[in-house]
Amino acid sequence: MLRIKNLHAYYGPIRALYNVSLHVRAGEIVSLIGANGAGKTTTLHTISGLIGSAKGEITFHDIKINGLSPEKIVASGISQVPEGRQIFAPLTVRENLELGAYLRFKGKEKRAIQRDLGWIFAMFPRLEERIGQIAGTLSGGEQQMLAIGRALMARPKLLLLDEPSMGLAPLIVKEIMNTIADLRDSGVTILIVEQNARASLSISDRGYVLETGKVILQGNSEDLLNDSDVKRAYLGKDYRTFWEEKDQS
Amino acid sequence: MTYWNGDNEQMPRAELEQVQLERLQSTVNRAYKNVPFYKKHFDVQGMHPDALTTVREISRLPFTTRQDLCDGYPYGLFAVPLRDIVRISPSAGTTAKPVVVGYTKSDLKVRNNITARFLTAGGVRDTDIVQICLNPGLAPWGRALKEGAESIGASVMPLSMMSTSKQLMAMEDFRTSVLLTTPSYANHMLDVIERLGKKATSLALKAILVVGEAVTEKQRDRLQSALNVDVLAGYGPSDVMAPAVAFECGEKKGLHISEDHFLLEIIDPDSGAPLVPGQQGEIVLTTLTAKAFPLIRFRTEDMACLWDTPCPCGRTFLRISTVSGYTGEVLTIRGVKVHPAQIRQILAAHSGISSPRFLIHLYKESHQDMVEIWLETTELLFSDEVKEIEATLKRLRKAMLQLLGLTTSIRLTEAATLDRFGLPSGGVIDDREDARAG
Repeated sequence: MLRIKNLHAYYGPIRALYNVSLHVRAGEIVSLIGANGAGKTTTLHTISGLIGSAKGEITFHDIKINGLSPEKIVASGISQVPEGRQIFAPLTVRENLELGAYLRFKGKEKRAIQRDLGWIFAMFPRLEERIGQIAGTLSGGEQQMLAIGRALMARPKLLLLDEPSMGLAPLIVKEIMNTIADLRDSGVTILIVEQNARASLSISDRGYVLETGKVILQGNSEDLLNDSDVKRAYLGKDYRTFWEEKDQS
Repeated sequence: MTYWNGDNEQMPRAELEQVQLERLQSTVNRAYKNVPFYKKHFDVQGMHPDALTTVREISRLPFTTRQDLCDGYPYGLFAVPLRDIVRISPSAGTTAKPVVVGYTKSDLKVRNNITARFLTAGGVRDTDIVQICLNPGLAPWGRALKEGAESIGASVMPLSMMSTSKQLMAMEDFRTSVLLTTPSYANHMLDVIERLGKKATSLALKAILVVGEAVTEKQRDRLQSALNVDVLAGYGPSDVMAPAVAFECGEKKGLHISEDHFLLEIIDPDSGAPLVPGQQGEIVLTTLTAKAFPLIRFRTEDMACLWDTPCPCGRTFLRISTVSGYTGEVLTIRGVKVHPAQIRQILAAHSGISSPRFLIHLYKESHQDMVEIWLETTELLFSDEVKEIEATLKRLRKAMLQLLGLTTSIRLTEAATLDRFGLPSGGVIDDREDARAG
């Protein structure tokens, strides 16, 4: 579905991605994990067109999409849920969701949009309860749900999620992850970027490990969760923890 | 079910090429970051991992040779800390030092999958009884095949030191359905079966899967018609990697390369330049998924050619021909890789002669490779006591078996006898081809 070959990205003179290649098949959840500054968000931004013309090739359904404007990329079926939610705080929940479908308003798909609102409320009943509430007054978890809901209003085939667990309590993280897994079951393909490697790998099929802008490892999630390098670097275990665990057992 | 993991084995080429590129890039990134040997080699060549944008561009990377493996002994080529290694698998290697391959937990899982693919293509199912007969020099493969067969769920009789007649007894009494061995040992077994007057119907064999050496069509035909079995081959360099880097499918027309785990190139052994499909050259292998022991452009010294025509079996993996010869000095004896220099070292260490003169005579006896070492008799070796000479020879044979995993015979000869062949010391007289043709 999504195929990236030899992607390079720069922030001015600073190089953020070196020759990154990855792919996402239809119906998959794929995790991109790595430490801060590894290039995870940059990869997402390059896919969604927020960072322009980097070297390399991005194809979506065999059509080249790098170089297209972000709106065109959304129209082709890719939506991004940004890091830190970035909902429109002064607007209500309903208004936020409707804005997610702005491309479709132009297409006069009003009835379909109403139907999708229903679908999103079925998935996040909490949002329906708070439909008239100002978005800025929602809790962190609810804001994340709203951000995902807003992205879904564009009816994407591929959803890009940037750190959905950020700043959320563990219990809420679990809830959000479960929802993401449900989303896949309803036919949305998902590329998820996370520092919380354990949470995202536990729901994904495959994963890529980024380190200083390079892919250094990939594999199915189960293998990555058990990989010592991944444990050390991204699951917050260092050699000491390893030894101590060993000693205790 | 004829596939072990059908989705991968039948992956469309475009997708496979994407997977290969991704895995190659991350393998090269890891090797460059974690293995000083590769970093140095790439830097000398002026080749940075970032420059690799297609799978084909691998031809710009430097080769890795058996000598490099030797120089890297013991841990020089490991790409993960020893802590992450769960298996340290040595083989005699072809130099003074053994070749030691490390595996992480996930490496072993991957290897089992690769081996299971070969076995499944060869007809092994969870209801089968699999018997492994390999010589001790191929012990690492014995383990790989055992684990591969176990992951399918078959009942496995692993590699054991038994005489051929006992192997046959077990084969008969346990109703072995699949035999895993070398082509020459399979033919030797058949000789024994015929000599003992056993009937093929007393065996429950349905397939013989052969590794270690190239199987000739003559050997295959003989086994297939005499025992009413399928004979399918697997290929891999016996000192590193898996026994089934490539494997035959039911078509028996070439061996499918497990291309999602290995990148195979055919090169001109002299110039190192890549060759096009159909041209005969040396097999060069790169691992795409190995974590502990990545190998980049490893020169196998095996000769074959690549075929890019589609196979009716449905696998999209390209095929190679049977190995048709070897480059360089490394000998393949009963599937075990041996360098003449290793024999020289053993002779020097155990005979008391510092620079022994000898020739290596290879021939076939009852379809098996035989090694006879013709050692020049000198005063140092010569003694009045026949007993002492015998003791020395015994010591040498024992050392050969221990260090190379091969039984050899040693003949003492006069200088004049060696001179007749006009070969330098350590030269090889290979009469196996004649035996094969006859």
